Amino acid sequence: MAKVRVATMWFSGCAGCHMSFLDIDETLIDLAGMIELYNSPLTDLKTFPEAGADVTLIEGAVANEEHLHLARVAREKSKIIVALGDCAVTGNVPSLRNGMDPDQMIEGIYGKPATSNGELPYEVVPHLLGRVRPLSEVIPVDYFLHGCPPPASLIAKAVLALVQGKTPELAGADLKFG
Amino acid sequence: MERQIHIEPVTRIEGHAKITVFLDASGDVRDAQFHVTELRGFEQFCVGRTLWEMPGLTARICGICPISHILASAKTCDAILAVQIPETAVLLRRLMNLGQIVQSHALSFFYLSAPDFLLGWDSDPATRNVIGLVAADPGLARKGIRLRAYGQEILARLGGKRIHPGWAVPGGVNQALSAPDRTWMVESLPEAISTTQEALALFKAKFGSKDDRTVLTEFPSMYMGLVRPDGAWEHYAGVLRLVDAKGKVVVAAHDPSRYFEILHEASEPWTYLKFPYYVPKGYPDGMYRVGPLGRVNACDRFATPLAQAELEEFRDRSGGRSGRVFDYHYARLIEILGSLEEIGELLADERITSPEIRAEAGVNAREGVGVHEAPRGTLIHHYWVDRNGIIEKANLIVSTGHNNLAMNRAVREIAKAYIKKGKVTEGMLNRIEGGIRAYDPCLSCSVHAVGHMPLVVDVVNAEGAVETTLARE
Amino acid sequence: MERITVKIDGRDIVTSPGRTILEVARENGIRIPTLCHLDGLSDVGACRLCIVDVRGQLVTACTTRVADKMEVLTATETVQAYRRTILELLFAEGNHICAFCVSNGGCELQDLACELGMHSVRVPYAFPRHRIDASHPRFLIDRDRCVLCGRCVRVCAEVEGARTWDFAERGSHARVITDLDVDWGDAASCTSCGKCVEVCPTGAIVRKGASNGEMRKRPEVVAGLKERRKHG
Repeated sequence: MAKVRVATMWFSGCAGCHMSFLDIDETLIDLAGMIELYNSPLTDLKTFPEAGADVTLIEGAVANEEHLHLARVAREKSKIIVALGDCAVTGNVPSLRNGMDPDQMIEGIYGKPATSNGELPYEVVPHLLGRVRPLSEVIPVDYFLHGCPPPASLIAKAVLALVQGKTPELAGADLKFG
Repeated sequence: MERQIHIEPVTRIEGHAKITVFLDASGDVRDAQFHVTELRGFEQFCVGRTLWEMPGLTARICGICPISHILASAKTCDAILAVQIPETAVLLRRLMNLGQIVQSHALSFFYLSAPDFLLGWDSDPATRNVIGLVAADPGLARKGIRLRAYGQEILARLGGKRIHPGWAVPGGVNQALSAPDRTWMVESLPEAISTTQEALALFKAKFGSKDDRTVLTEFPSMYMGLVRPDGAWEHYAGVLRLVDAKGKVVVAAHDPSRYFEILHEASEPWTYLKFPYYVPKGYPDGMYRVGPLGRVNACDRFATPLAQAELEEFRDRSGGRSGRVFDYHYARLIEILGSLEEIGELLADERITSPEIRAEAGVNAREGVGVHEAPRGTLIHHYWVDRNGIIEKANLIVSTGHNNLAMNRAVREIAKAYIKKGKVTEGMLNRIEGGIRAYDPCLSCSVHAVGHMPLVVDVVNAEGAVETTLARE
Repeated sequence: MERITVKIDGRDIVTSPGRTILEVARENGIRIPTLCHLDGLSDVGACRLCIVDVRGQLVTACTTRVADKMEVLTATETVQAYRRTILELLFAEGNHICAFCVSNGGCELQDLACELGMHSVRVPYAFPRHRIDASHPRFLIDRDRCVLCGRCVRVCAEVEGARTWDFAERGSHARVITDLDVDWGDAASCTSCGKCVEVCPTGAIVRKGASNGEMRKRPEVVAGLKERRKHG
């Protein structure tokens, strides 16, 4: 059987969902035989393969211009998009900044007296969006994995189903947030 | 003609970053910058939340080291409650912190960094990752996975789940250690120690000499970490110590809750990560390093025998305190060993299963500071509350942040060492990234934010036109 | 005693008149999801989650009384779809971040997402930012987590009798208030009995000192009180 092309990305989150994925422990060894892991924070590949990805897991909310751009690229280049974890599904903790003005926020964090020299970071780094948004607000999403983070067993169940071309059965306790 | 090399994103680290290398007219490296590219704003959006939410809320700063934040937050809340937590609660929190150090260090070594030095800095980028490691050496990969799992299981059995457990609370912890869980931890400990010793042996066999370990540059700096009052390596309590490049004490035993007397932060327009610095030396001369190399250099010794023997050998092989960036990996392995030894001691302590684990109190102070050692360095939480327990202000100085000046220095030195006359190879770029990976940065933590971008290197000329593109596919 | 026959999901059930569809369904092991309903308090039909189909009309099971030959369908595709949308609107209207909530794992809203199969919220989130009122010495209210079920209002009026809680304003500005919209700590009528804490289905009204995932409510105390008071 041809190996399934998998990509993963993280936006505004904490990496906990990727860590929960790694919490499948030794099942990773079995999975390694079934997938080709392409662009991911865990690899050195930075762009999608020419043929695109079969399954892309995206962790984190959309919080800056770069995330917005990458989300759109991911949708274009992936057959299946999975919103991995509460930040991607609902906005979650990063969305607590909604309602604050990003420029005021930056002033408070980087200006004086928080720092001794008050240089505000506006060069080179991607600008914050006015509002942190769940992934499905910016691209169509195929599957949603709830949890902060989703338990490793849930991620394993979903990923193993997807790499075998099946529909993951997500119901009941699988849908618990938090 | 001035050129810039962009490395975007830096991968196999936690968080989002990119690197810019500036070349002068002859194609040699003039400067380099390490940009951390996202911001969530924890210090700001915590304002208005309640004290009792803070451990769970700040846990979400990081999914690799949530325990670090949960414990620092709980300590800060203890101070606001003005309570002395029961001694079993201290022991349990220590046990939790050590489990955290083991899993996080194992992740860094086996999953994130080992592909570079076990598969090769110049090996095929398509397989230079944890999956490639599984294929190339499944036996070692399995051991690494199980070592991380041991640490994670300590967290799950104490706190209910591996990532973001809601267990440490203001006043103590909310669940005692059960006898069966204690037994499991004791019985699984020998395998963890054996794996760590194997990893150390492998590391020393490949990189025993100083020269092997200079692959990612070396430079002098101060080093900072908590130590016990007698100078031994410490992770949960203790006093703040800074030493110079040779290990001579600069600050012997500073009260961690008064960190602001010696540490301030600066900012730059090209990164979301602030720059903590040692105040008497000013910015940017007040650079210091934290985390495994910082702690291992700042302490006198380990209080446990196996780690102490390794520390002595490390200093011997290095001719004293090491300033080699690559030696973060060496120090990291020694810390896993020391952590496992202390885990054994705690599990043997009769008090560890006591149900006396929580002190109850209301808001009794308007301000609190909680400091301890996260895997990546000294972690500081500082909250101000109103009399009802609502957060009025929060200041967080997070582990990797302390290393910002040093990470920038590493990137600059490594780039200078390898890139000459404008000639760049993929392997050189990987080594520059490797300089960052050695610090095992937790950028989500450090900026209290996360960012992400893919890696493409455009060599652009002064007019901004792209001359060559190196893309890692 | 008069007996009537009601058909629920195709099943004939004999019961007495004047009872609600919800009561009759529960007695007969038929699950209808609810949120604002609580045994021991009056029913108000506020949350709309208990809607059922009565001959093509959607009515709230908690407030609709059975009648002879009534035909009720509790789980048609339309009913289920509407319930899911109602739930999504509830989630979107507040700041229902479960991750660090003290009621995580003990919240009726969180449980409803699991029961009703809510995979995602398909309406834009409002991301409100109410100020947390922690002025009471023992309790606090986070209005971002309030679903306006009104259980606090009803328990305070009907069981404790203090009438501290009430609703203010309308539409998307509607909220619960203490006394004449003063801080809870300044609400002179409050007896600190804590019943509102026990009946609040989410992490909105909670006990101070409960940390992440520690808040566990006991809403069943209300029905217990009502029962014991019956017997003098």
